[in-house]
Amino acid sequence: MEKKIGSFVIGDSTKCTGCRACELACFTVHNQKENHVGKTAGTVSVPVVYRLFLTSFEEGCMPVQCRHCEDAPCLNACLQKAISRVDHQVIVDPEKCIGCKDCMQACPFGAIALLPYCTDGHTVAQAGAQEARVFAAKCDLCQNRTEGPACVQVCPHQALRLVDPEREREEKNIRAAQTLYLTRNSREGGCR
Amino acid sequence: MSMGIPEIEDASCLLCFGYNGADSHPIVARRIVRGRQKGMKIICVDPRVTETARISDIHMQLKGGSNLALVNAMANVIWKEGLTDDAFIAEHTKGFDDFLKVIEKYTPEYAEKICQVPAETIRQAARMYAVSKPAMILYGMGVCQFSQAVDVVKGLANLALMTGNFGGPSMGIGPVRGQNNVQGACDMGALPNSYPDYQSVTDPAARRKFEEAWGVTLSDKVGCPITHVPHRILHETDEKKKIHAYYIFGEDPAQSDPDLAEVREALDKCDFVIMQDIYMNKTGLHADVILPATAWGEHDGVYTCADRGFQRIRKAVEPEGNVKPDWQIISEISTAMGYPMKYSNTEEIWNEMIALCPDFAGATYEKMEKYGSVQWPCRDKSMEDRGTPYLHKNGIFATKDHKALFYGTDWHPPLELENDEYPMTLSTVREVGHYSVRTMTGNCRMLRNLEDEPGWVQMNPQDCRRLHLSKGELVKILSKRGYCITRCLPTERVKTGATYMTYQWWVGACNELTTAYLDPISNTPEYKYCACRVEKIDDQEWAERHVKELYAQIRTQMGISAEKEARS
Amino acid sequence: MNCFVKGNPDLCIGCRTCMIGCVVAHEGKHIFQVDPDSCSFNPRLHVVKTASLSVPVQCKHCENPACMAACSVGAIYRRDGRVLISEERCIGCKACMEACPFGAITMDTAAGTLQADGSERKIAVKCDLCSNLPGGPACVRVCPTQALELVTKDDLEHSAGQKRARAARAALSLQLQNQKCEV
Repeated sequence: MEKKIGSFVIGDSTKCTGCRACELACFTVHNQKENHVGKTAGTVSVPVVYRLFLTSFEEGCMPVQCRHCEDAPCLNACLQKAISRVDHQVIVDPEKCIGCKDCMQACPFGAIALLPYCTDGHTVAQAGAQEARVFAAKCDLCQNRTEGPACVQVCPHQALRLVDPEREREEKNIRAAQTLYLTRNSREGGCR
Repeated sequence: MSMGIPEIEDASCLLCFGYNGADSHPIVARRIVRGRQKGMKIICVDPRVTETARISDIHMQLKGGSNLALVNAMANVIWKEGLTDDAFIAEHTKGFDDFLKVIEKYTPEYAEKICQVPAETIRQAARMYAVSKPAMILYGMGVCQFSQAVDVVKGLANLALMTGNFGGPSMGIGPVRGQNNVQGACDMGALPNSYPDYQSVTDPAARRKFEEAWGVTLSDKVGCPITHVPHRILHETDEKKKIHAYYIFGEDPAQSDPDLAEVREALDKCDFVIMQDIYMNKTGLHADVILPATAWGEHDGVYTCADRGFQRIRKAVEPEGNVKPDWQIISEISTAMGYPMKYSNTEEIWNEMIALCPDFAGATYEKMEKYGSVQWPCRDKSMEDRGTPYLHKNGIFATKDHKALFYGTDWHPPLELENDEYPMTLSTVREVGHYSVRTMTGNCRMLRNLEDEPGWVQMNPQDCRRLHLSKGELVKILSKRGYCITRCLPTERVKTGATYMTYQWWVGACNELTTAYLDPISNTPEYKYCACRVEKIDDQEWAERHVKELYAQIRTQMGISAEKEARS
Repeated sequence: MNCFVKGNPDLCIGCRTCMIGCVVAHEGKHIFQVDPDSCSFNPRLHVVKTASLSVPVQCKHCENPACMAACSVGAIYRRDGRVLISEERCIGCKACMEACPFGAITMDTAAGTLQADGSERKIAVKCDLCSNLPGGPACVRVCPTQALELVTKDDLEHSAGQKRARAARAALSLQLQNQKCEV
């Protein structure tokens, strides 16, 4: 079936233990190619930053990340056109981002963070200043990774789930139909 | 139909055989649902779980192509268990003993092997039908679109005869006709063998009557059925019998006839093709001349409902552009060809017709206006003759001695069976949102939003898993004759090994695959059974693009554009 | 208590006239005259077909709506006994879709409006009981088999009352029978 709306990853605070394996997996996957991050700590030469955020609150904790909104406020707020929809997902182009923070403010989930822009294992300095160049980073569902989002894959407690909203909706529709069968008030006859 | 459609809901038992009312005629399906609410028992015979099957007491999910074995087995049970109406059989029928000789071997156990329906279920169904009165049979294209079709119709009539289910309201047998006004087309003699009112072209008295009325000499030979046309164009060696010109109206053979490749070849090889329709269609792409006609709502006329009810249709809006009502176009062509036809309205045509047809003689415009529907036979012009809601009253049949005849026939399998190369079967069906060949509904954007090209192939989820197919994936479906691309729809409502496609799509045109095997009597093709194979398409992106391109190409050929549509 | 529309699988013939009725009710009759791409086709109820069931499913207008609780931008609200979604406020985050246990919310194209990058703007859509129409929900009116009904607070309370009375009568007859046995 042709995809109609974007997928997203959602956490479950009833299962999450706050181990942060998801965050590390996120960092590794996004820095493997460009920054040569491998399986050991010694390969890491860039700041350890990630695109989902373990969030503690009164009742527990869970990772929070982008919902890939269908009328994405971040995308609409970006004047640089650095955020766009690619195959139904909301994707940031780090090359275009100027770090204006509008998307950060627009996002109702706190799913965007300004992270240092690194290449070839080093941070990159800004043009005309000492400070490192940053860009708006957020979950991209590990684009092009055949196994799907790394966070979902590594979570030891299955506290993260990749949601295909349309498929889940159809499944819920079927359960609702079954309920309608149980709550019907027929005069005579009925389904088999 | 021997009964009226409103009578359906008052039957005590309904045997619904190869008829999917919810998809073909929602308005008739309403009567079935209402009957159910009133406590009507329903026996549904269909290889798919249809909406009627869903609310039925007994659903016999038979294997496609085994109809007659099941019907004969039901007759066998009714006979063996002494559930026959002996008085009715003795008084009103002939040929019962010969019939018994044929059905003797069709024990439920024998039929079980052919139909894949448990013998005990066949027994229960036969009992339920036989002990209920009035019991009604409705059947549809699941009976008629097989190479053994007329035999099954007779088989169903046998069931009604042996249980005395003729001659009263809410009983008898009802072919719920395939298309809107197909009953009317037959009533008016749009058949190769009859004048209006089923008066045979080979009957000299009838012929003389029409010759006198029209002042012409008429042929005493039966004409050519539509399904023979491709052969008569392509392969006829007798120059006198070869067809050179083909005038098609309100029909899209390049979409609806079996083995489309052959149909296209025939249309292209035919010297002269005229197409008369309300919108462009696939046949129009092969026509030499296109005559644009008015649509319903733009002209007056009479339709016949499947239950023999004549109903008026009225002009609601003025037609725009260069279009004319069908009757005017025909009159003008006839006049140009040297036989002047001068009518000023449809009522004049109607009056001329009923004056020549004893069974329709009383169905005047005035009566149709007053009563809404007048079911033939209606022989008297007086307002008291309101027509005939149900046929064969008191067991008097339309034969010379007024007796009904039993016809027993043996079952034979469909003509193209599954094989190693084409291991699955294909049956063509309908869907409720699109009417017939989509000439009308395909141009309604609301309905197109609900379902659009390239349509779906319904398959059992087990088959889908075996072929690694998921819902909505584009697949290639092939037969010996051709292939098309459509979307996969896994559904528990169909049996394994069988596939179902609706026949209106231009891109997912299932008639590229169907066979031109015909029933020897009705000349109806075996749309409900041919061997096919479903193939996975690995490059879905290409397939999606390809389907879009094909659709756009056909639309361009037909001169359809979005702006034009918006204006229309 | 909120009203809601309820489908009856005993009567439904799966024809989807309700879905068309819903679109016409929400888009207006102009839908038949305009360029098909300039209007949206968003039925707010869906005919579900399983092996043994056919029935339309739509919003129940819950009393403690899960969708409303899940919405982080305050786009879902209650008014006049209905649970409604504000088309302006919705950002299409799908949280409500995820929260609804009936699958009654879909994300549909908002015709005529695009996102900043030119891609389609999609927002949450669900049954609003045809709040804009005088004759009540269109799906109920167009169904050829009367398979949909509008269930009101009175209907529910009346039905519950009847069931309680029946239960009470049954209990009484049992007690009387027991007394007879004791005598």
